[in-house]
Amino acid sequence: MYIIVAGGGKVGFYLAEELLNSNHEVLVIERDPARARAITEELTDAVMSGDSCEATTLDLAGVARADLVAAVTGDDEDNLVICEIARNRGVPRTIARINNPKNELLFKKRGIETTISATQAILGQIEQELPTHEMIPLLQLHSGLELVEVRLPETAPVAGRSVRDVLLPPESLVALIVDPGGVPRIPSGETRLNAGDALVVVTRRESMDKLREALIGAIHGLDT
Amino acid sequence: MPAPSTILVPVINTSASLDAVTAACAIARQRKGRVYVVHVIEVNRSLPLNAEMDAEARRGEALLRRAEEIASAAEFHVSGGLLQARDAGQAIVEDARDRAVDAIIIGVGYKRVLGSFEIGRTADYVLKNAPCQVWVVRQAVGQPAPAAHHG
Amino acid sequence: MNVLIMGCGRVGARVATTLDEAGHTVTVMDLNPSSFRRLPASFKGTQAVGNGMDGPALERAGIKEAHAFMALTQGDNRNYFASQVAHEIYGVERVLCRIYDPVRADIFSSLGLEIFSPTALGASVIVSMLLGDQAAKG
Repeated sequence: MYIIVAGGGKVGFYLAEELLNSNHEVLVIERDPARARAITEELTDAVMSGDSCEATTLDLAGVARADLVAAVTGDDEDNLVICEIARNRGVPRTIARINNPKNELLFKKRGIETTISATQAILGQIEQELPTHEMIPLLQLHSGLELVEVRLPETAPVAGRSVRDVLLPPESLVALIVDPGGVPRIPSGETRLNAGDALVVVTRRESMDKLREALIGAIHGLDT
Repeated sequence: MPAPSTILVPVINTSASLDAVTAACAIARQRKGRVYVVHVIEVNRSLPLNAEMDAEARRGEALLRRAEEIASAAEFHVSGGLLQARDAGQAIVEDARDRAVDAIIIGVGYKRVLGSFEIGRTADYVLKNAPCQVWVVRQAVGQPAPAAHHG
Repeated sequence: MNVLIMGCGRVGARVATTLDEAGHTVTVMDLNPSSFRRLPASFKGTQAVGNGMDGPALERAGIKEAHAFMALTQGDNRNYFASQVAHEIYGVERVLCRIYDPVRADIFSSLGLEIFSPTALGASVIVSMLLGDQAAKG
């Protein structure tokens, strides 16, 4: 997919990084030239300096061929305008970050998907249909440990097994299980894992691939 | 300062960038080194990065052939290639890093904007960001900018 | 007619004054209370301090009773946002919105609002002043 991220603040930057990691074509448009230069160091050619509220900027960014525009600036009115221009240019899907939850209704009435600011929520929303993104990093802890969310797909090799029977990489543990109904449980050894469960797992950064393999199974989709 | 032995030369259709090829060949030849010439096609964001850019590719191939002719006139050989990128400066710096060259030799024109010299966006980026040495060949004042109509 | 105006700049104050003198019920909203100095002492309408993009502030300013809403702040995006709040959430009958950028003005015109672009209007007025009405029409 070609995804334009309007706004290169913290939310836009992390969102872009994650999307690039999952092999999407990404362009971040940032209004402040100094900030644009700063994020160019990490994101190289996936950054453009300009005002996304200007139709000409979005046209330069090739908005007409974008599959999705995520407007994640800190101003709700800007995000609304960006999404409206994007739709005018034929973009099939627009997602706006809303900074003030009271504004959610207006975006809904305008037919624009919204999310309350957190990067992971936007990612989750974009990646819902994609098979490769069943693992979402949530938080890095000091000691090289990482907190990740793992959604068990239908094909997960661990579906139907109990926590005790799952062979996890060293220093990894399932801290929390949220079932498809949204009910959280702290698992015991006997707790059964089911497809559709979201697991919050603590693991080491270098064990992420092994963890994916253990819980989700062979990677299919973009990587193959 | 040791003379570089592996050199990357970005080429566009200017006399200065062909002068840069000449200079690079002379330097690398002494050191029995290598010269890579690269032409970057900047692809507009309205197109995917791997879009077919036939006209630009033909022009780029012609430039690379021209660089090879210059090299063989100096009894040297260059290897080269076309790159497609969003930004020529970034592509040049990345290529220099990938090939681990000792230097980039880049030709620049002589252009004044509002009375003061302007080096141009690509050379500016390369000077600021290249990990290796950067040598600049600036065209002489008063020389017409787009040269290399011959050949 | 009951009119709510967002933005008490030069244009907003003048529109408010004119409508007030013509006997309409006018409320002017602005974030900055000192903007109301632009209204004449004779102004009989209501002054409301508040953000026109904010539902509760609009309700306090009487948007539910308004027949018309006008967005006249300096910000195109703020004007558009507030106008859509008036149109989509409060169903105000007439929503007039000022957009300086003619490109944005064109895009927004198709989205249920009455948009006017002082930039485009001003340009055509200047051309017609110079060349006469004939040229401006052509």
